[in-house]
Amino acid sequence: MPSEETKERIVKVIEVGRTVLHYGWIPLIIYVGFTRSNPQPSLIKLISPLA
Amino acid sequence: MASSPPVPVKETLLDAYPTLSQGSYFAPISPLFNAYDRFALWRADLGLPSPGTVENLQKETKTTHLSNFIFDGARADLTKSLSMNPLFQVTHSFALGSQTSPSSYNFGAIFGSTKVFLQGGVDHDGNVSGRFNYGWTPSSVSKLQVQLSQQAGHNMIQLEHDYQGADFSLNAKSMNPSPIDGTGIYFGSYLQSITKNLALGCESVYQRPTPDVSELSTSYLAKITGTDKNWIATAQTQGLGVLQATYWQKLSEKVEVAAELQLIAMPNRREAITTIGAKYDLRLATFRAQFDSTGKVSALLEQRFTPTFAFLISGEIDHMKAGAKVGVGVMIESSSLTPEEMGMPPQP
Repeated sequence: MPSEETKERIVKVIEVGRTVLHYGWIPLIIYVGFTRSNPQPSLIKLISPLA
Repeated sequence: MASSPPVPVKETLLDAYPTLSQGSYFAPISPLFNAYDRFALWRADLGLPSPGTVENLQKETKTTHLSNFIFDGARADLTKSLSMNPLFQVTHSFALGSQTSPSSYNFGAIFGSTKVFLQGGVDHDGNVSGRFNYGWTPSSVSKLQVQLSQQAGHNMIQLEHDYQGADFSLNAKSMNPSPIDGTGIYFGSYLQSITKNLALGCESVYQRPTPDVSELSTSYLAKITGTDKNWIATAQTQGLGVLQATYWQKLSEKVEVAAELQLIAMPNRREAITTIGAKYDLRLATFRAQFDSTGKVSALLEQRFTPTFAFLISGEIDHMKAGAKVGVGVMIESSSLTPEEMGMPPQP
């Protein structure tokens, strides 16, 4: 069984990871898609629903 | 006297690894290798087909029925394909006027290459859902699924690994696993082809909501596929006294029918629901209709006017509760790509 200190550290790491994932997941997909796409799309087409 | 042609000798493990038979290290266990090898050969000789995954056991029935597709109110989906290979598309979806759920806006993005699949969605409240699949080999895929929300306690993380053998499939899944006290829900499932038509399997669920409480339950599955794969029957027991059976048949290229029976026989609750539905795939339209034993009749029409513009209309009448639901929707797919880039043949 891990000690109390380790437990606290794990909880903190999970919390940070969760927050990073929450705000970073969509930007990550857009970044990966934008850089790997062939041909590379323009940014305005990516964001706006009407363009 | 003509000598008989040489019998083709199948390559065995020992032939492939000559050191195994010569090397002294492995000599004591070489009978074991031999036995395993013969068993593997015998198994390969049976030529059993892949049984599909446990998750997709009722997939054919589910895509024929419209329970997963029906909506009410108005909705619009604007999909934009920005790249075909690798796949990259973004979706804006709007829904309003629904009786059951509030109006919502959702932005989604999908990226897919041969090995990696990324999917994410965010709604107007800031709830994020995501999926990440990584294929180590075509038959071995790891999956991560998350649901993140602003409120505490609504977060979900699911780790999953799928392995598909030649005649079996294996899946392990954990939901909200905690590395600290081991709480969470754990799933394990195995499906094995027994004959060319029959596959049997089981799925175990181990629930551990708190460190002191734990519960294990096992359900059993069976799947019978027609020899020419145009009908599939499945049965699944779920925990205590719940049985789910489905039957799906492809009547022609354009028509599929499916029936589903759900039986609940618990001491304090006994009920059964049957659903029968049909799906027509026409050239520019898909029409689904179904009715069930609770008195619900529903239909969904998806009409494509052009390849990029589809119009959806759905309706449901509940005869027992005297209720009705109507939905209309549009789906617009736009693309910044030329037809050549999308891999279509050039128009004359």
